Amino acid sequence: MELAQVRYFVTLCRTLNFTRAATQCNVTQPAFTRAIQKLETELGGPLLFRERNLTQLTELGRSVRPHLEAMLDAADAARDLAAARSTRLPASLKIGLGPGIGAASIAGAVSEVANALPGANIHFEESGPAALIEAMLNDMLDCALLPEFCDLPDRLNRWPMYTDRAVAVLPPDHELVKQNAVTARDLLDQTLLAGEYCGGFSVRLAAATGFSLRLQRCNGPTSQMLDLVAAGLGIALLSDRLRVAAPLTTRPLHDPELPRQILLTVVAGRPLNPAAASFVKLCRAQKFV
Amino acid sequence: MAELGKNGFMNQVLPQGAVFPDFMLPSAEGRLVSLTRKLARGPVIVSFFRGEWCPFCRLMLNALTEALPEIEAAGATLLALTPETGGLALTMKEYHGARFEVLSDVDCGVGLAAGVVFRIPKLYRGMLRPDFAERHGNAGWFLPVPATFVLSQDGVVAWRFAEVDFSRRAEPAEIIAAVRSLGARV
Repeated sequence: MELAQVRYFVTLCRTLNFTRAATQCNVTQPAFTRAIQKLETELGGPLLFRERNLTQLTELGRSVRPHLEAMLDAADAARDLAAARSTRLPASLKIGLGPGIGAASIAGAVSEVANALPGANIHFEESGPAALIEAMLNDMLDCALLPEFCDLPDRLNRWPMYTDRAVAVLPPDHELVKQNAVTARDLLDQTLLAGEYCGGFSVRLAAATGFSLRLQRCNGPTSQMLDLVAAGLGIALLSDRLRVAAPLTTRPLHDPELPRQILLTVVAGRPLNPAAASFVKLCRAQKFV
Repeated sequence: MAELGKNGFMNQVLPQGAVFPDFMLPSAEGRLVSLTRKLARGPVIVSFFRGEWCPFCRLMLNALTEALPEIEAAGATLLALTPETGGLALTMKEYHGARFEVLSDVDCGVGLAAGVVFRIPKLYRGMLRPDFAERHGNAGWFLPVPATFVLSQDGVVAWRFAEVDFSRRAEPAEIIAAVRSLGARV
């Protein structure tokens, strides 16, 4: 396949008009048509129906379109990033973080992008899945890390990043600090702080065990919840991927473990700016352990 | 394979004398590697690999690992590109004890720009064992043909090897000779 052929096909998918697509690609119509025919030969069948007033994608055309778009975007992004580096235009990287999903795991990739594109603006937005999905669809966010337990529209591409587990965050003098791990039974006579951004581990624990746990609502950012743990109000169940500063300590929750897969999501078919595209590539290329 | 050959696939591969498109890709260790930066140090060898699942790729990676001291002595940098994601570039690198960069060409973007990407025909998909959707992070069924480009310091393709037959690869001796002849010309 040739880059130009794929570019012509993707333009044709968007215009569904040979004349207009050829003009947009700055190429004569015979050359444009030949390129599409070559691509059809290589991909093993017609990609479009050509009727007098109507151009439509065939089933093959529809099935390869998203993949060719992604490949074209990747080709453009690899080049644009290299170019953005030399022009030093301001770049931005806007990442959504779902409930209880910290930035610690992706900090390395974010730093790498910031080093490659000095002056890039980095923006994190912590919110519920629905709000983050809406922000992505409205082009307010480039990508988001979301938990597997949420309704993802088909328009979002998703890649598994890592699986996190619950830890109990305890004040330094807490009796459970003496144990290597805590179980659901250990938490029966404890107060659990639960908020909209803590990742829902307490609610899942209650559902998984059927225990009636003592929950204290505490909405707002995780940092404030940790202040309340330090003050002795209760225990927080948070992701083991969050960094918890001393003097607070963490103990893994065993029995049940409450694993949660975290997905990297982006809107399908929408080209990302060089900073965001390289961030997504860095995340997809590596294995998060 | 025969079909790829018959369809004039080779005419699409970036020819000698063309400027290789600049790129920046993630390395096995999670760094962004820029072609321009590597070119600033000398000639660059860009070699496409299908993946660690391919025995011919493994053989060639071993051969290149062995040839690396000679490649470096000739002043060149070797970059191995693979469409594999999810840490598989690192697995590949560690398995061969390779000291050269292994880059993830995520979604085959650079492969497309170099004209080395093809779609695996439906007929063959069942025969190939690896789960490409998972390995590539997309269900596109695209792979690069084995191809190696030797780029002079200005980023121009000075020598290339491309072959639709995946069992045939560039010989390290030929690659080194191509790099050396560049040095002679400068």
